[in-house]
Amino acid sequence: MGQVDFKNLRKSFGSTNIIDGLNLEIHNSEFLVLLGPSGCGKSTTLRLLAGLESVSSGTISIDGCDVTELEPRDRDIAMVFQNYALYPTMTVEQNIGFGLKAKKMSPKLIKEKVNEVADLLGLTHLLNRKPNALSGGQQQRVAIGRAIVRKPKVFLFDEPLSNLDANLRLEMRAEIMKLHRELGATTIFVTHDQEEAMAMADRIVIMDKGLIEQVGTPTEIYFQPKTRMVAGFIGNPSMNFMKGEISKNSELKLPIGNIKVNTILNLGQHIDVGIRPEKIKLADPKRKPNENIVRVMVTNIELLGPRAIVKMEHESGQVLTSVVDHDEIGKYELGTNISISLASNALHIFPKIKD
Amino acid sequence: MIVSFENRLSRFLGTTAIFIAIILVLFPFLWIFLESIKPPSLGGRPDIWRFEPSWENWHEIVFNSNVPLNILNSFFIALITVVISLICGAPAAYAFSRFRGFQGARYSILAAEMMPPAILILPLFLLLYKLELIDSRVGVITAHLTFVVPVVAWFLIGFFDEVPKDLEDQAMIDGYTRFQAFYKVILPAVRPGLAAAGIFGFVLSWNDLFYSLLLTGAESRTLPVAIAGFWTFRGIELGKMAVAILIAVIPVLILSYSIQKHLIRGIGGSGVKY
Repeated sequence: MGQVDFKNLRKSFGSTNIIDGLNLEIHNSEFLVLLGPSGCGKSTTLRLLAGLESVSSGTISIDGCDVTELEPRDRDIAMVFQNYALYPTMTVEQNIGFGLKAKKMSPKLIKEKVNEVADLLGLTHLLNRKPNALSGGQQQRVAIGRAIVRKPKVFLFDEPLSNLDANLRLEMRAEIMKLHRELGATTIFVTHDQEEAMAMADRIVIMDKGLIEQVGTPTEIYFQPKTRMVAGFIGNPSMNFMKGEISKNSELKLPIGNIKVNTILNLGQHIDVGIRPEKIKLADPKRKPNENIVRVMVTNIELLGPRAIVKMEHESGQVLTSVVDHDEIGKYELGTNISISLASNALHIFPKIKD
Repeated sequence: MIVSFENRLSRFLGTTAIFIAIILVLFPFLWIFLESIKPPSLGGRPDIWRFEPSWENWHEIVFNSNVPLNILNSFFIALITVVISLICGAPAAYAFSRFRGFQGARYSILAAEMMPPAILILPLFLLLYKLELIDSRVGVITAHLTFVVPVVAWFLIGFFDEVPKDLEDQAMIDGYTRFQAFYKVILPAVRPGLAAAGIFGFVLSWNDLFYSLLLTGAESRTLPVAIAGFWTFRGIELGKMAVAILIAVIPVLILSYSIQKHLIRGIGGSGVKY
């Protein structure tokens, strides 16, 4: 078991609100990723759940039991820190067994459990080493071992992969997912890396300025972003945005021309319209309905192996970015004008909220 | 390798300067050593350089004087002072290191250091007099704590600053209280700092003359007071004094050498670094 509930959670330092009324239910055995730009409150949320920071108001419960006022040691959670926080004076074996020692387990049983975990993570030959004699990946494994050996209800990961190099990061990512499948414990994973979030999460929580912007599966987050912040934050290269307003007959008045869509928004409402780079295609001579053809000039091409990023500019000055497959790239030539098509159903419309 | 004239000149000047500095520092030691092995008949004649070495002063000090008792007193007082200072200073330093309210707070520890000892001695003397602790080791230890505790605490702040806060967070998640996290995880991580601070505090107490001179009598007299005592009405007993000085200096030299690596970090380490 390991169901976590945040209710109206608030955390402020002085007059600054770090978390501003957070409501979230995390299901048992779920792999939940907290994603957001730095300073959005995701790490603070994790530390509040761990009990390392005190809550300003609201409650946190684990399996229906209110833990808001409990000490970290009484919450039955384990945490892996960004810098691993291995105890420098202890060996790998002592590091992993340290939490069991607190539970007053017999040394024999501790050794047994430590060996079991070391075996699972391939650390058996390193048990007598001190942390400073380990590589980054090995330290990471020890930190994970120390977390899983206690079989807690909830695992917390605070950007655990950001100190590893690219290859190792992919390897550890796969390993953490495999462990999650095997152990089935609720896992809350904080990261600012959207690719990591998309690859690992059952559900992603996007946070900004202490508030939840959207909760959903990676697919929902990517294809149905609810707010402009989410739309702009997820995706690489990021979504193209155009400022516009609703004109008569539910048409969008945009710098690149008028586009007809189905919308319930009111006449004259200011909006941001977004389209994902991969949804911008070369116009097909056989024009389909719901397609909007726009003439643009190719201003830059970045070749990235299997795909290329093409920047183009409309005569109004509106810049668009598109992602093109390698075998299509011959059709784009720097400095020439081309016709592109923007499918109406690929447009995301976000009403502007007046500040 | 071609070395230009300027380069060679600057290297020559540098070497010469260091050489002169070393002579200035080491000459008194050489001179004191020579005084200690001069026959007593030549005592008080620093101008004589050629003589037959004699160990009479050493024999006299080791077997026929109170100096061994003074050494024991000094050692005992310094040791107890350091142990208490570490027990009080380490938690204090930890608290200052983790305290994020007012950055200048840590400098308040140094306030005690900035006061001239003359201000403290009068109340201290009256206090110890009422408690009948004049001429007792406990009295001297009390006095020494007034300046060793702040120094040890100040010294350790920098070491605690370098221990990531995540370590105690991790220990608390692992099932320990904050205090357990402090002594099971954080203290072992600053062991080199504890050793260095302890040695530094030991040397401070060992070398103190001011408080010891005013608070000790025959029973609890420390080595620096005994050394000063060789300056008598009949004149300075230079030979014996030299022996006592050497005995006093040797542990300081050995201890300082053993912590030299941590010394700079400890003294300067608690300053600005964020």
